[in-house]
Amino acid sequence: MIITKKALPRRTFLRGVGASLALPFLDAMVPAATASSKTALGQTKRLGFVFMPMGCDQSRWFPKNDGKLKELSPILSSLEPIKHQVTVLQNMELANAYPGSHATSNSSFLSAAKAKHTEGNDYYLGTTVDQIAAQNIGHQSQLPSLELSMDLMQTVGQCDNGYACVYQNNLSWSTPTTPLPAEAHPRIVFETLFGDGGTPEQRKAALQHRASLLDAFNHDIARLKRNLGSEDRARVDTYLETVREVERRIQRAEANTKDNPLPDLDRPVGVPESYAEHARLMFDLQLLAFQGDVTRVTTFQLARETSNRTYPEIGVPDPHHPLSHHGNDPDKIARMAKINQFHVSLFAEYVQKLQDTPEGEGSLLDQTLLLYGSGIGNPNVHDHTNLPILLAGGRATGLKGGRHVRYEKPTPLANLHLTLLDKAGVHLDSFADSTGKMDELFPLTV
Amino acid sequence: MIIERIMSRWNIFSGLLCLLTWVNGTAEVPVSPSFLENYCYECHDSDSEKGGLNLEEVVDGSLDTHSSQWEKVLRKINARQMPPLDSDRPSEKLFNSVAKSLATSLDQWASKNPNPGRTESIRRLTRTEYQNAIRDLLAVDIDAQTLLPKDEASHGFDNITVGSLSPTLLNRYISAAQKISRLAVGASKVKPGGRTYRIPADVTQEEHVEGLPLGTRGGLLISHTFSHDAEYEIRVRLARDRNEVVEGLNGTYDLDVLIDNKRVQRFKVAPPKIKRDYESVDRNLAIRIPVKAGLHEVGVTFVDQSDALLERTRQPYNVAFNMHRHPRLSPAIYQVSINGPFDIEGAGETESRAKIFIDYPESEDEEDACAERILSNLMRRAFRRPISPDDLVQPMQFFRQHKLEGGFEQGIESALGAILISPKFLFKVEKDPMDALSDKPYKISDLELATRLSFFLWSSIPDDLLLDLAARGELSKGDELAKQTARMLMDPKAESLVTNFADQWLYLRNLDSLTPDARLFPDFDQNLRDAFRKETELFFRNILVKDRSVLEFLECDYTFLNERLARHYGISGILGSHFRKVALKPEMHRGGILRHGSILSVTSYATRTSPVIRGHWILGNLLGSPPPPPPPDVPALEETSVDASLSIRERLAEHRANAACAQCHDILDPVGFVLENYDAVGRWREMENGQPVDATGGFPDGSKFVGVQALEEAMLKRPELFVQTMAEKLMTYALGRGIETYDAPAIREIIRHAEKDDFRLSSIILGIVHSKPFQMRKTLP
Repeated sequence: MIITKKALPRRTFLRGVGASLALPFLDAMVPAATASSKTALGQTKRLGFVFMPMGCDQSRWFPKNDGKLKELSPILSSLEPIKHQVTVLQNMELANAYPGSHATSNSSFLSAAKAKHTEGNDYYLGTTVDQIAAQNIGHQSQLPSLELSMDLMQTVGQCDNGYACVYQNNLSWSTPTTPLPAEAHPRIVFETLFGDGGTPEQRKAALQHRASLLDAFNHDIARLKRNLGSEDRARVDTYLETVREVERRIQRAEANTKDNPLPDLDRPVGVPESYAEHARLMFDLQLLAFQGDVTRVTTFQLARETSNRTYPEIGVPDPHHPLSHHGNDPDKIARMAKINQFHVSLFAEYVQKLQDTPEGEGSLLDQTLLLYGSGIGNPNVHDHTNLPILLAGGRATGLKGGRHVRYEKPTPLANLHLTLLDKAGVHLDSFADSTGKMDELFPLTV
Repeated sequence: MIIERIMSRWNIFSGLLCLLTWVNGTAEVPVSPSFLENYCYECHDSDSEKGGLNLEEVVDGSLDTHSSQWEKVLRKINARQMPPLDSDRPSEKLFNSVAKSLATSLDQWASKNPNPGRTESIRRLTRTEYQNAIRDLLAVDIDAQTLLPKDEASHGFDNITVGSLSPTLLNRYISAAQKISRLAVGASKVKPGGRTYRIPADVTQEEHVEGLPLGTRGGLLISHTFSHDAEYEIRVRLARDRNEVVEGLNGTYDLDVLIDNKRVQRFKVAPPKIKRDYESVDRNLAIRIPVKAGLHEVGVTFVDQSDALLERTRQPYNVAFNMHRHPRLSPAIYQVSINGPFDIEGAGETESRAKIFIDYPESEDEEDACAERILSNLMRRAFRRPISPDDLVQPMQFFRQHKLEGGFEQGIESALGAILISPKFLFKVEKDPMDALSDKPYKISDLELATRLSFFLWSSIPDDLLLDLAARGELSKGDELAKQTARMLMDPKAESLVTNFADQWLYLRNLDSLTPDARLFPDFDQNLRDAFRKETELFFRNILVKDRSVLEFLECDYTFLNERLARHYGISGILGSHFRKVALKPEMHRGGILRHGSILSVTSYATRTSPVIRGHWILGNLLGSPPPPPPPDVPALEETSVDASLSIRERLAEHRANAACAQCHDILDPVGFVLENYDAVGRWREMENGQPVDATGGFPDGSKFVGVQALEEAMLKRPELFVQTMAEKLMTYALGRGIETYDAPAIREIIRHAEKDDFRLSSIILGIVHSKPFQMRKTLP
């Protein structure tokens, strides 16, 4: 189930325009006459986070010039077609990830918090940026958030330098003690998002069947209420409220299928054999989840820290982790950079697809902000300074793209998280070790 | 015959229901004034009112208003917790006589003023009950854990707070109704889907797995319901370490796939031809084969290669916690996916369909009448009562609508979905009689009684026999209820008393989240966790099935072991993965549940034992006198605040030096200390950190003793405390509500009768079934 441009014919787009203008905008009480493109400016509806393991070759990551993005660096070259929507940030730091390790690279990436050094069940981190967003804006969609990964393995106990595996496995934490396991199996993700799938008609029929079963429940529960005492009748009233809430959800899902037309969805059965196919499928699922407004917050781990995945498809038969400890061997660095470039290219495809997928009068990317990067800078020494970080965002988010922004001093990555939350409508004073917001990245909205 | 023995006890209970008639009487003071003067008033008079109890006022009032306080007084006297240890205490003889006279007065008063309490009117099925009900109704094996959200527990059981209905739950009920009706009927043209079975990472797969053929090692046995006669793909993935290297791949291995114990495929598993290309190792471990619809056992396992034997016996149990410290010795299975159906041939002939299609139309004219018969039959079981024409209206609407779309079977499938979503199935409802006065006890109907009984004994819906009796109003007549109870206890479905009741009562459910420190206990793995559970479950089942005295929980000379567990306990001569009853010698230090690894581990911390948790567990779950929960402002015991080189006993002593802590910990800690000879994973030890273990402890009544044997003897000296606690736990579970002071007379009645019968488990269960709280209910005030 790979989504290509072919799967979204122009007709679908046009059908979508008429329908999608109605509901969400009425909800927001926007005067009908306002042009949607202007209203949307400064609005970020969705946040996506993509994690790349084990840093990169920084010399091949950062562009040569500051300011306007002209010639892209080798690792970022695949972003060329969409570079006007991309901002490359230099000198971002995760101070709380020190002392340097793989476990803390992963755990601090979205939490910016210090991981309690333990192998046991008493692990403690911090609530991650995506989960703060999910807790605040997630209720607007079917699922508050979606956590994805690429590794079908699960490790327990000790993983890295005395850190429990949860730090290395889980990017998202809904509380400091609740890591959210990510799913790597495309079918399981699909069913979470779309149930059995099918054509729009089949999905609609499935929803209608749900609604009719709910009606049957409602009918019987109302009858039950008749011959009960007053106390028990009050209990049944709470059931009836629940029925109404479920009814509302089904209606919303039905409206979703109408307003956010998705192509025919064939449930994937297994896991694609090649890494690239699997990763594309996982990106497609995120796109579909956004397109169907099933969720507004996603996190995706392209591979785990210390992953020993090999990438024969791009001519790198060496496992990633040993390669990242390259000992400054130029040959090894070059091969590692190929992996880095490959990961970025998959992300670039995703951004391009979001850009090509219509939503309202614009594209799905318009109100979407994506953070891509790693929790390690130079993997050879496990440092967490000068991280490879970039932002991609649609025009409505106000992100000024096409730039390479270099900070003079190491700047907490938490500042960026705080800013992203702010853009998504979650206004906090601080986040982890943040020292301020980075509004300069969004000059158009300030 | 056991049934006859249980039945012979019927006459013991036949007098109970006469208590339904009563006369008003006058109450008198149930404890002699001199006893109160000598032992109680110092703290509990109108001046001191310690703990909010003013006994002078209680004595002046009548039992009508103060029975609840007297029950609490009796409980404290029975536990010998009052008067306090440091004050004047009555002799044991006086304790007993006061307790007896107080109990007699309270029982007499209660027989005139019965209060059966009021179980909530509307209670939904728990996840476990739902799963069992589907099994009994449709012969479909579902994994309710993946279909429905978890139930919340209170009063120690998950069937108490079952009154609320969240949107998530209702949504899941709808999905479950759809999925199950499709699986059971198989009429829908379903798209291929799949289910993935994962083995926990810390399962050691070096040994034979029970149920798989001998000569195999590791892997898993899956009970999988195949929806159609069709082709299915079975795909295997191997376990990898944190570097994504397939573990233990030291040569070539044979991997077998079996269906219903018959081999359908043998794979060769070999190291990758291209260095580090581990994806190639299991990429092709997949077969696509035709399977008949219905439940089948799918096994995936390695052929045991005997040359590994020598190496294995030298090694400790190797869990995959850490590739360096404990690498796997040979490859293991990570997950098995069953995908399908592909190329559907038909719905097939399954037990489910046989249960559903008790009738089949020969022509179109017969379809509606036939559907009515099929649906009425299903609804009667699902709704647990006779069916009225009104019940048929909704399901028949679903039937007619979907028959038009996909034929007769499609119609039935859809109507079945409507039955499964009906509140009549999902909720147990007890209604007050129309003519009932307020605040009065009444007898519940026979149908309500049948539902209570089957959910108590089977955690599931009544069978046809029970329903027939209830529908005819015969269940509560004569000795029928005792007969049915005896019959149901002998039914395999009574296994739920083990897997549902005992698992919760004894905290066995907590075993899943038990993770002892991997450095201190490197050989702890899922296999041991499973063996722990199995020992205690088999032990409970033995007492249930053989109808033994419940006192065997506290003292006995046998247990159930397999090789893994026996080795953990240091008992030799037990070989193989299967469990068997083993006669014990005293030097093995095993026996009653206080010596079970399961109990000893779930009451420990990851790194060490916890006398506090163990003491609390024994007092709360076995002796019915848990101390109150800690006050909210008490700080946790900081491991670092006391010298870490001290033993846990010394550290807790420092803790008790704080008077606020001592109030409860003086009671808790000594009970737990007695088990100090067992470490945090339940192994026997005589030394700890180079020091001899000190297992000196005692009871809240001030008695002192050393070691588990003495603890068991002390508990057996007054067996009624344990029996009372167990009866209360069973009653909580049976009624689906917490036990209150007004239930105490019923509990005492049960104990009195059980005592005449050696405290056999069935006599306690029979006592509960015949008790007023079980057979009656009170209308709202």
